Amino acid sequence: MSNSSPGGRRSRLFRGEPKAEVADELAFHLEERVREYVARGMDPDAARAAALERFGNLEGVREECAQMLHEDRRAEARRDWLDDLRQDLRFGVRSALRAPVFSLLAVLTLALGIGANAAVFGVVKSVLLDSLPYADAGRLVRVYAKFEKSGMDRSSVSPGTAADMARRLRSFSGVAAFNFGTMDVTYQGESGPRVIPGALVGGGFFSTLGVRAALGRTLTEADADAPVVMLSDAAWQREFGGDPHVVGRTLRVDGNPYEVVGVLPRGFVGPMGDAGIWFALDLPHYLRDPVGARDQHWLGIVGRLAPGVTLDAAQRELDRLAVDLAREYPKTDRGRTFVALPLRDAMVGDTRTPLLVLMASAALVLLITCANLAGALLSRTMSRRKEFAVRVAIGAGRGRLVRQLLTESALLALAGAAVGLLLAVLGLGALRKLALPVLPPYADLSLDTGAVLATLLAALCTGIAFGLAPALAAGRLEPQGTLREETRGSSEGRRSRQLRGVLVAAQIALSLSLLVGAGLLVRSLWAMTSAPLGFDPEGVLTARVELPSSAYPTPERRAAVFRELEERLAALPGVRGVASVTQVPSPTMSRNNLTIEGVTLRGDGPVFIPYMAVSDDYFRTARIRLRQGRTFGPEDTPEATPAIVVSETMARRYWPNGGAVGARIRVSPHTAERWGVVVGIVDDVRVDPALPAPEPMAYASGRQDFAWTGRDFLVRTDGDPLALVRPFQQALAAVDPSVPLRDPRTLASIVDERLAGRRLPMLLMTAFGVLALLLASVGVYAMFAAMAAAREQEFGVRVALGSTPGAIAGLVLRQGAVWMGVGLVGGAAGAVVVARLVSGLLYGVAPFDPVTLGVAVVALLACATVALLVPVRRATRVDPNMVLR
Amino acid sequence: MFAKDSGLLQGTLELLVLKTLSWGPMHGYGIASWIESATGDVLRVEEGSLYPALYRMARKGWIRGEWGVSENNRRAKFYHLTAEGRRQFGEQSTGWQRLAAAVTEAIGSTQAPAWAR
Repeated sequence: MSNSSPGGRRSRLFRGEPKAEVADELAFHLEERVREYVARGMDPDAARAAALERFGNLEGVREECAQMLHEDRRAEARRDWLDDLRQDLRFGVRSALRAPVFSLLAVLTLALGIGANAAVFGVVKSVLLDSLPYADAGRLVRVYAKFEKSGMDRSSVSPGTAADMARRLRSFSGVAAFNFGTMDVTYQGESGPRVIPGALVGGGFFSTLGVRAALGRTLTEADADAPVVMLSDAAWQREFGGDPHVVGRTLRVDGNPYEVVGVLPRGFVGPMGDAGIWFALDLPHYLRDPVGARDQHWLGIVGRLAPGVTLDAAQRELDRLAVDLAREYPKTDRGRTFVALPLRDAMVGDTRTPLLVLMASAALVLLITCANLAGALLSRTMSRRKEFAVRVAIGAGRGRLVRQLLTESALLALAGAAVGLLLAVLGLGALRKLALPVLPPYADLSLDTGAVLATLLAALCTGIAFGLAPALAAGRLEPQGTLREETRGSSEGRRSRQLRGVLVAAQIALSLSLLVGAGLLVRSLWAMTSAPLGFDPEGVLTARVELPSSAYPTPERRAAVFRELEERLAALPGVRGVASVTQVPSPTMSRNNLTIEGVTLRGDGPVFIPYMAVSDDYFRTARIRLRQGRTFGPEDTPEATPAIVVSETMARRYWPNGGAVGARIRVSPHTAERWGVVVGIVDDVRVDPALPAPEPMAYASGRQDFAWTGRDFLVRTDGDPLALVRPFQQALAAVDPSVPLRDPRTLASIVDERLAGRRLPMLLMTAFGVLALLLASVGVYAMFAAMAAAREQEFGVRVALGSTPGAIAGLVLRQGAVWMGVGLVGGAAGAVVVARLVSGLLYGVAPFDPVTLGVAVVALLACATVALLVPVRRATRVDPNMVLR
Repeated sequence: MFAKDSGLLQGTLELLVLKTLSWGPMHGYGIASWIESATGDVLRVEEGSLYPALYRMARKGWIRGEWGVSENNRRAKFYHLTAEGRRQFGEQSTGWQRLAAAVTEAIGSTQAPAWAR
């Protein structure tokens, strides 16, 4: 091999550049030739000229030889580098195996740090980085209506506005309307009625998104009033077994026949969410409705920016359109502006902040891991310094030593990454169950090649980060001094002691920041869950019943069926109360325009408030207390004056001086013609459990507002609510066997699902915080242990001279406490940064919450105290007879 | 002589370099001088061929160059044979001798071929 020859690697260090070397060699040749000619009697100048002439193309030879030498050197260096790497790796594995416990702990610690990052990155990637299932999705924009006065900025538009947008906007090459949400439809399958989510989309929807049918064709403008549908890939597989001849088949949906014209590609989800059946929206039909055309807001808008048009330009055009429409339709279109958002931002919604917070937390954990391992590696370097000193003494270069140690730490990091990826896959499996309802519909949690590569890269950087300081410390070792020192009691150098202190301080600072962040999230979730909801969701089963208008054409007929079902349910054993409502309280419930007689509401434009029509027993079943007046009863016949019950917040906001009861208002379709009268005030209900403050709310009697085709039923029981599902289905079948029971679940689970989006970041961040606390405690332990060990001899002397154990403990504590203090101060600064980061997720707690900070500091100090007890106690028990002998 | 691109002659130059170095380490100028004097100035070594040949042989691992001091106290690059170079020299010189003997015998032949009779 190259380095087995005499004058091996070391002599190469003294070689010159290939060019200079060749030039020297040839210059020598020429000189000799000149000497020869001079010796033969030529005069020096002539000799020189002759020599040059004889040589010929000096420049060419020089170039050619230098080139060859250069290539040879390069090949040699590559061989050397690979040789070294092989050697380093072999040595690294051997030295890792020599300290199995250390290696195992290091790999485990790293696996936790890297695994946490990989798992969170998997989520971040799938939500924020993966491409949307549309063509050139970066040019797609979602347009929302914004009602300043009602605090609604992600709102829907009316059919009239949607048509105006499609007709007037020039910034978009395509604008399409679609039903804002999805709705459940009943599909008559071979094995009985099945409920499938359906979506309603305008003609330009698929062409605007740039989506082509996997089978058949997509819906177009021409389909507006045609009974045709498209199927999602999932519905096609599930309901039709992937039948390749499905196009042209007829389905019965809600009693009506529809022809399948196409199947959507796999992975496609709409901006409104996932749906199985896609219907054509008959916009012209809604435009003909004199009231609904401009007064009912239920359409979402998606547009594709025309070539060369920026989002800002589109927004400006939308601003002008809002002004124009307000002038043209002052009654319906005032007080409303439009907001254009990139479609991805619209779909990511409010998961972005929690995800970024989690990514930052995971990164903090990894940093703590680095600091922790750097400290551990430093101790190990100190205990191996004899080995290094010997290697330096017999000729190992310092650079080589540093490189060797970096290889060792990178090796540990990669092993940690391998285990960490395994943990991440497991973690994502668990997250998929917990997080999917709160993530955008297109998110598919997985670790693809990119995520794995990113993880490995992060691991390598980690390895270098935590290996660098100890490696440099080893590189600075003085072999002579080290080898001459006594075997025992050689005390740690000042520099490495400081380094260790800085590392511990960093761990404490980072842990404190994380703990404060987690604490703030815990506090705000506490604020959300501890504030009264205003109703009692425990022990209540909910389910929806939709009566198809084909079989039940009149509202009266439907009302009678709903009443009959209610009676049957009330007769079931174990049932304590039954109520039916137009929709259960939820953050997505629809809002209606509010008008109060004789009162001009502040500001410009309409006010929307959550509204529901309820049966007489609703307030009793949901346990909402009556404050004043009455709730609904049999006296509220369709012919009687519409009775309205309002919430306390509504009464206070619109009748601050009292007098709500008896006031005349309009808030629903059945009060469009004649005024309704407020008959009672009930307790507030928080329709969004994630918002601690309740919204104003209005109720009407289901006896008077009964035009709806569907109702949510609430059944209260003493036992398990889900045990009632079967009896409920039987009761429904007794009324009409062709009507399915939709979405039976407990009211508590609806509330819970809404909180899941808040709970998940809190849980994960708390887990990260605990992990950080654990790592920092280990770091504190290691620091005190190393300090105590290093000064063992000194303590022996002190004890021999009469020092008390207390004084010794004081010495150790003082030395370590400085760094802990530095860490706490740094942590307080870090907490400010973290608090700002999470402030968007907080409710009912200030970002700079002294209680949270205090608890975090105390928790950290408590753990640190436990961690330092053992080494400090050991220091106080130094036996001078042992250490000084 | 020893034009750069002639395969036969290039091989010959390499063989002569190997022979030269078999006496001991020598620099490029010394190698050229020795070959010229050893062949009775019949062969003139072109520098333009010699130095690339040296570097090529170094790459093949037959010879190795190291800086040393010349007879007249100048820094010069001395080449010496490696073990592989020594082996090559043995092989190539035997081969050359057989070739030369065969060619010599052929051109010195006095027996006319059948077709010339």
